Amino acid sequence: MSKVYFSTWNGESINNIGKPEEEWEESAYNLPAQYDDHRDSKAFIGWDGVALFHENVDVIRLAMEYAAQYQVYSEACGRCAPGRWGGRILYDVLDKIARGEGEISDLDHLKEIAKSMQVTSKCEIGKTVPNPILDLMEHFEDTFLECINEKKKSIHYDESVAYIAKITAPCTDACPSHVDIPGYIEGVRDLRFDDSLEATRQTMPLAHVCGRVCPHPCEDACRRTNLDEPISIMSLKRLGADWETDHGYDFFHPMKKKPANGKKVAVVGAGPAGLTTAYYLCADGVEVDVYEELPVLGGEVTVGVPEYRMPWDKYMQDIECVRDMGVNFITNYKVTDEDMRRFEKEYDATMIASGTRISKKVRCENEREEIKGYWGAIDFLDWVNLYEKFDIKTPKEVQEKQMLPTDFVDLTGKTVVCVGGGFTSMDVVRCSIRAGAKKVYMIYRRDEKTIIRNTTYEEYHEAVEEGVEFLFHSAVNNITTDDDDILRELLIDKFELVPDPNGGRAQLVKIEGESYTIEADYLIPAVSQSADLGFLPEEWDIEMTSWATIKTNGKDYMTSRKGIFASGDCEYGPMTIVNAVGQAKRGASVISRYVQSGEITLSDDEIMEDHLAKLKVYDKKEKVSGWLPGLPREHSSVLDAEYRKHNNAEVNLGFTQDEALSEAERCMRCYYIAMVQA
Amino acid sequence: MSKIINFKIDGKEVTAQKGETILQVARKNDIYIPTMCYISKTSPCASCRICSVEVEGVDGFILSCNTPPTEGIEVKTNSQELELERTNIMKLYDVNHPLECGVCDKSGECDLQNMTLEFGVSQQEFSAKDQHRTVKEWGVINYDPALCIMCEKCVHVCNEVIGDDAIDVKFGGYSSSIIPKNADTLDCTFCGECIAVCPVGALVSSDFKYSANAWELSRIPSTCAHCSAGCSLEYEVKHGSDRTQNANSIYRVKNNYEFTTLCGAGRFGFDFQNSAQKDEAAFNKAVETLKSANAIRFSSMITNEEAHILQLLKEKLGVKLFNEDARLYGEFMSAYSSISGKLHHSGSLDAIKQADAAIVFGTRIATDNPMVRYALRTASQHNGAKIVYAHPMEDALMKNTATQLMKYEAGSEEGVIALLANELLQNVDIDESSRAFLDDLDLGYLEAESNIGDDELKSMSKAFTRAHKRVLIVGSDLFAHSRAKNIAKLVALIEKYTDFSLVVVPNEVNTAGVSLLCELDRDENIADVVGYNAAGDFVLSSLKEADLAMPALNQVEGSVVNVDNQVLPLNVALAFDGYNLNDLANALGMQKENTIEYTKELSTAKGFKAVAFDALENFYSVYGEDVRGYLLDEVTCEGDGKIEEVAELPEFNGTVIYHCNPVLQFNQFTNKTKQLEKDTTLRGSAQFAAAARISDGDEVEIRFASKTIKRLFKQDDELKGTIALNPSFDMTADFSQYRFEKSKIVRVV
Repeated sequence: MSKVYFSTWNGESINNIGKPEEEWEESAYNLPAQYDDHRDSKAFIGWDGVALFHENVDVIRLAMEYAAQYQVYSEACGRCAPGRWGGRILYDVLDKIARGEGEISDLDHLKEIAKSMQVTSKCEIGKTVPNPILDLMEHFEDTFLECINEKKKSIHYDESVAYIAKITAPCTDACPSHVDIPGYIEGVRDLRFDDSLEATRQTMPLAHVCGRVCPHPCEDACRRTNLDEPISIMSLKRLGADWETDHGYDFFHPMKKKPANGKKVAVVGAGPAGLTTAYYLCADGVEVDVYEELPVLGGEVTVGVPEYRMPWDKYMQDIECVRDMGVNFITNYKVTDEDMRRFEKEYDATMIASGTRISKKVRCENEREEIKGYWGAIDFLDWVNLYEKFDIKTPKEVQEKQMLPTDFVDLTGKTVVCVGGGFTSMDVVRCSIRAGAKKVYMIYRRDEKTIIRNTTYEEYHEAVEEGVEFLFHSAVNNITTDDDDILRELLIDKFELVPDPNGGRAQLVKIEGESYTIEADYLIPAVSQSADLGFLPEEWDIEMTSWATIKTNGKDYMTSRKGIFASGDCEYGPMTIVNAVGQAKRGASVISRYVQSGEITLSDDEIMEDHLAKLKVYDKKEKVSGWLPGLPREHSSVLDAEYRKHNNAEVNLGFTQDEALSEAERCMRCYYIAMVQA
Repeated sequence: MSKIINFKIDGKEVTAQKGETILQVARKNDIYIPTMCYISKTSPCASCRICSVEVEGVDGFILSCNTPPTEGIEVKTNSQELELERTNIMKLYDVNHPLECGVCDKSGECDLQNMTLEFGVSQQEFSAKDQHRTVKEWGVINYDPALCIMCEKCVHVCNEVIGDDAIDVKFGGYSSSIIPKNADTLDCTFCGECIAVCPVGALVSSDFKYSANAWELSRIPSTCAHCSAGCSLEYEVKHGSDRTQNANSIYRVKNNYEFTTLCGAGRFGFDFQNSAQKDEAAFNKAVETLKSANAIRFSSMITNEEAHILQLLKEKLGVKLFNEDARLYGEFMSAYSSISGKLHHSGSLDAIKQADAAIVFGTRIATDNPMVRYALRTASQHNGAKIVYAHPMEDALMKNTATQLMKYEAGSEEGVIALLANELLQNVDIDESSRAFLDDLDLGYLEAESNIGDDELKSMSKAFTRAHKRVLIVGSDLFAHSRAKNIAKLVALIEKYTDFSLVVVPNEVNTAGVSLLCELDRDENIADVVGYNAAGDFVLSSLKEADLAMPALNQVEGSVVNVDNQVLPLNVALAFDGYNLNDLANALGMQKENTIEYTKELSTAKGFKAVAFDALENFYSVYGEDVRGYLLDEVTCEGDGKIEEVAELPEFNGTVIYHCNPVLQFNQFTNKTKQLEKDTTLRGSAQFAAAARISDGDEVEIRFASKTIKRLFKQDDELKGTIALNPSFDMTADFSQYRFEKSKIVRVV
């Protein structure tokens, strides 16, 4: 809800012209009435209409400046005849009217060119730029006519006015890393894979990773859904990265590295957030040291996500791309509170990106860390992945504790029970299958639909195909061990979903008498993880969230201590790679300015990004026209279950070129321009 | 799900294959949808929006060039609304388009002119501020941004078909333009395909610019004479005002860019004609000399008909025929046939374009045969083909196309092909003796000496797993190799037992034809040799300083056999007033009025058809079918050859020279042309320079076992290793020797 003077946003018609301010009707949308801490917005204009927050807005110039943005936003235009010339004509004619030289016939020309652009342009910018301009011409016709008839300039024509614009798209807005998705898809469509990759890397250095294992929230905001099915956005991302790797190119960086500016930043953790922070800071000319506790780089994506989902040689390319920017990595280095104090002195800023590496308990009877066969998911996956990817052997004490017959995770003949429901638990059960387990159960409190929503359709079905048995509406009640404290049996409770008669959230209620036991060798809790932040100096007293993660305002990612930043899972709690990357990218941008000026600021682009996220760019009710519906989404092939469950080969083979091109061709290039007059 | 989609266009029932767009189906069915930016050999540019159509029940316009149809839709290609919007787009294209049609090279064949007329745009209400834009001079290519309509055809072709990826769109709305990619000036192989596809006069040939109007020129369809690709082209010549006078020069070369492609040698290297009057004395001397000659030495830059005449002369006069290029190629193919049981290789340029996996072996293909490179590029871009480039040197031109460089030691080709055969035939049922041969291979030795590791072979196999259209391309490095025959047999083995099709790339425009039509003798240093475009005691030549001047390949009628085993016709672009080989043959007792009377007599035993020259077509249909000449018939033969044990692999140490031309240069004919750059420098890496103790700009003497030549040395930072490239186009092309040669380099002080 925003207080507006006038709004046509998304078809609403709010006209408070002439009314006293206290009687103003409010807009139904979260329009950016307040630009930032110290500036009100005067107007907001975009693809879906226009809103005025103030009566003294020069609407002719607003329309003209909006048309001008179409010329400015080079990455999105110049690609079609109606947009290229039409956009220029809109601007020229509006400027002509605004400077007092317009004629009545110009209004007709504007309407005609606007219509041609709306129906024939290549992308949504071309189609939507005329929308708010036509709105203004309609609702403020008198203002236009006055300038034309009296040959006078529009009211603020010669004044200096701040117009701040931003290009976006529904998918880009929904992506936590705000990747230029239409841009990289256009690169695939045009078979310009270098362009595609550079579009991705502007905000996302992990193109291989997020082209493979991203849960793709963008696809829930794909406008193509309004027509038929969403674009397979994630799978198209790896095309550029695979192309670079296949042809043995040096890394395509989307920006030129700035000369060293003498500033230094320490980063704790070399996972997605740490890598992202380092990449963009380094590109800005900052010297970056990344400290990593493990002997290998990449964080949970390396030691958590299994080889069959994210081949190490591909992830290594992403990491090498970051290194290629000039980042310095220090592995096998566990940062202590002493180090943190030192970092604060020696570096201009520190980014904490240490993730969440403590497996939470399932909370059942007799749950004890020391039980043989009780094995936290993080530790389990560590040893599986370190061996599979780096040939690092499982040490003696782990072998003994987990009764391994050899120096790698061999579960031949064993029964594994995993408790979870998220990606980590999926990785556990599928790795267990590959480690030779005789039987693998997944215990989940809720139902099939929910597990698919929490992971992906593919992930769940692939696990089922590989032979994992899912026990829904179930939870472990008790662990039975033998005399040697070896896990023997689990008591499982069954639950049912009982709807709340008052219409509230349905409750899980235990079904008495339905509990049963499973003989098991291993119980692997994969319910969630928490952050190990023991290295934070106590006296810093860094503010934490109620989830025991580091607190920031979610916009600039600075902690309660100046110069100390946090991003990724240690800030948000266990979440997605793309979320960590998005936070770290923003954090890096803030840090880059902070180390120079000592101020915590957001750029106009970032301010607009946050405004648009609040407003929401995707409208699932919008009716899409100008595209043929019914073109099915392409699906890439996967390895046969019988074959893949015995090895670590990448399960998803990726698109063939044909599939990729067909899929890219479905993308509607839904770029939009939003502009604020501040 | 059925792969065929049934739908209607303008009421007509039509069908689409999976992957076809509405526009493609319309064109196949002769239904017209106007376009400005569409070009059938690339992915859709989708910039003009004119091809929009309506679909019953769907709101808005649907772009036909990039939308595949769905079952049952009813497409309408025309309506008042579509007409209005298409007209508006044409009006926009016309905004500030310079009114210089009077002098513009494109005038008369300009899409903008044509479509402006088609939509009856005679006036308009749209206007925008004009902008100052300057003409860019990029060598043989000129770009005028003021004329450019930003259709992006050039960008797509350069990237998807050629592989130079040298031009880019500079985005910026109204001020968008085409710019050199990542460079100040155009840095490319100058194929000029961007000129061909430009629908307006924005990209033009700087040589042709302002020299003629399109309507003054006559087109003579022919076949390019520069390499074995045998590309279709049209020479454009200007006749005198009464149109009976002979043309005296070729103005330019064009191609049917919708379906064919040309490299820069074909496009810009057209002025290699010879001129002479009838010199009776020289002619008589030539006749006498031939009568007493021991041998005729000739190059493969001749037609099938001339080759046939030479064979007849051999039979009649008892002379020997020397042509090492065709002889070695022929022997390679004979060895191939001894295993495959047929005369001709199975693959073609088209098979390469369709491929999703390819191995290129024993050829620096981008310069040896640009058309193969373009076909590979198309396969790479459109099919995502995995391409293994096996060669002792990397080639920067192949970097964005090849997916795996398999770098082997110069000389080790026999070992490499044995390793490839062993890998590709691993789980294949093959005959016993071949299996025994593979089982007996000393893989460790071959891998060590060729420098091809097992991991490389495995990585190739892995990359090929999903492929189902595979092709093996072999070329010029192999023909003169000391183990050529066994290499050919192994190549045949792969073709015979796998789903790989095979393309053997001949050296010259008619190497294949000559090898089929002439019984060639091993060249030897004997007296009384008549040279025909080759060295001899008496020289017949279309080049320079000949004892008798002969017509060049743009001055004769006849046919050649290209890399596809296709017999292609050549036509007379420019008249030649002197004598030709047929005149000599007639003086020696044969009786044909014209050379082309021999066309129907070419050996059917070798696959030629008894077809008269005038029955050979030379065009592409509107649907893109190649209707040029004919394909050689497949001829089977005994396949009783035996593969020999792999010989010890030779070593090439020290400073090694690779005989290899720079782009656009092939032979003395391309060397003769005005527009093609003639870089005769020895090009080597910094490492080569260090090993040879020379530096950039030095004049050097290159001492081979048999001869010594002088070159300027140019250090090329795109090269690596201790092998340098020595051009051969400025000397008599010598295909008698293996292309890698040991040398001693001495700086000339």
